[in-house]
Amino acid sequence: MSLSMTPMQDAMTVKISEALRPTALEIFNDSHLHSHHKAMQGSTSKETHFRVSIVSPAFQSKMQPARHRMVYSLLKEEMAQDGGIHALQLRTRTPEEEDRIKAQEEADRGTPVQDLAAK
Amino acid sequence: MATVKLTEITTEADFAHLKSTIPSSALLVVYFHAPWAEPCKQMSTFLETLASTYPSDRPPKIAFASLDAEELPEISEDYDVTAVPFIVLQKGAERLETISGSDSAKVRTLVEKHAGKGGSSGQAGLPPAQQVIKPVNGPAQDGVKDLSAHKTGPADPSTAPEFSSGEKSKEETFKRLEGLVKAAPVMLFMKGTPSSPQCGFSRQTVALLRERSIRYGFFNILADDEVRQGLKEYSDWPTFPQLYADGDLVGGLDIVREEFQNNPEFLMEYSVKPAASSPNGQTAAQTV
Repeated sequence: MSLSMTPMQDAMTVKISEALRPTALEIFNDSHLHSHHKAMQGSTSKETHFRVSIVSPAFQSKMQPARHRMVYSLLKEEMAQDGGIHALQLRTRTPEEEDRIKAQEEADRGTPVQDLAAK
Repeated sequence: MATVKLTEITTEADFAHLKSTIPSSALLVVYFHAPWAEPCKQMSTFLETLASTYPSDRPPKIAFASLDAEELPEISEDYDVTAVPFIVLQKGAERLETISGSDSAKVRTLVEKHAGKGGSSGQAGLPPAQQVIKPVNGPAQDGVKDLSAHKTGPADPSTAPEFSSGEKSKEETFKRLEGLVKAAPVMLFMKGTPSSPQCGFSRQTVALLRERSIRYGFFNILADDEVRQGLKEYSDWPTFPQLYADGDLVGGLDIVREEFQNNPEFLMEYSVKPAASSPNGQTAAQTV
C-alpha cells in the first residue's frame, strides 16, 4: 500500500467521521494560499490551513462556540504538533440548518432562466 | 562603582562593534523591542535594572544590548525574531537561550544561570529572586492553592496589576484576562491592529465589524504572549481572532460571519449610526 500524500487530511476525515457521524463532510486544503506568509516561513508541510464543513445531528442544541470546540478537541493533537494544523476554518451545521440555509439560498437566487424558457 | 548599562544599538556597525569588544566567555543579552509594543516598556525597565546589578568589569563579563527590531530588520531576521519582546542570550557566536514574550522572571533566571547573580541590589531594588514552586501533581491540598510565596514584600516595586510582568500565577493571568475580555462591550483579540492587521482572518473580522459600524475594543495578541497563550486556555479556544460580546466568547471569523449572515440583529445593539464625521466608531481599548 502506498503512503498517503495527505496524512493530516486523512486523519481529520477519520476522526471527524467516527466521532460526529456527519451527513456531509467537506475538507478543503487552503495551505497553498498562505504558504508565503511570514508565519509559514521555514515550514515544509503542505497541510497547514484547512476549511472544513460538517453537517451533523451531533451539533443539535449546541451554540456555535460549543460546536467548534467539539471539533477542536478532536483535532487537539494535530493542532498542537509542530508543522501541524495552523489554521482551521469551520462550518458546523445540523442537517435541519443545512436544509434551511440551502433553501434560503435557492430562494435568493431566484428561478433559473432555463426553467422559465422550458415552460 | 560603575555598573553595566542596557546599551541601545542603532546600527549594524554598532552591534558588530559591541560584540567585538566583549570576550567570547562573556554573556551577551540581546533584547529586541518595538516602540508600539506596550510590554516592551516593562521589559526595557526590567533589563536596565537587571543590568545595573552587575558591576562593569574590565574585561566585561556581561553586556546588555537593546535593538529596535523594525529598525534593524537584517539583525532581526538573523535572530529569527517573530515577536517582541524577544531576548537571546549568547556567548561568543553560540546562542544559548531564547525568550519570546514578557516573562521577565525567566529572563533573570537564565541570565543568572549563565552569568551568575549580580552583586548589588541595582538602581530600583530588584526583589529577591523567588523560588519557583513546582505545582503538586497529585490532588491539591484542601483544593486551595497556597499563594503566600507570591506575596509582595516591602522591597518589591509597586506596580499596577496589569503591568507586573514578573512571576505570574495562572490565577493572576486568568484574573487579568477576565478583566480584558470585558474591557469593552465588544472585544476583538486579533493579530495586529485594525489599522494594520497581521493575519487575513483578523483583517476580515475587522472588515465585518467596520461594515456594520460596530463599536469595539481590540487587543493585539502578537504584542503580548501572556494573553496570547493564556486566552487559549482561559476560553478553551485554540485560534485567533477571538470576538467577545459582554465578556462571552462569540467565536472566530467563521462564527462571526455566519451570525452576521443568518442573524440581522447580531451585535447591532453595539452599532453606531454611521455619521459623516465618524465613519469608524471603533474604540482602541488596547490594554496597557
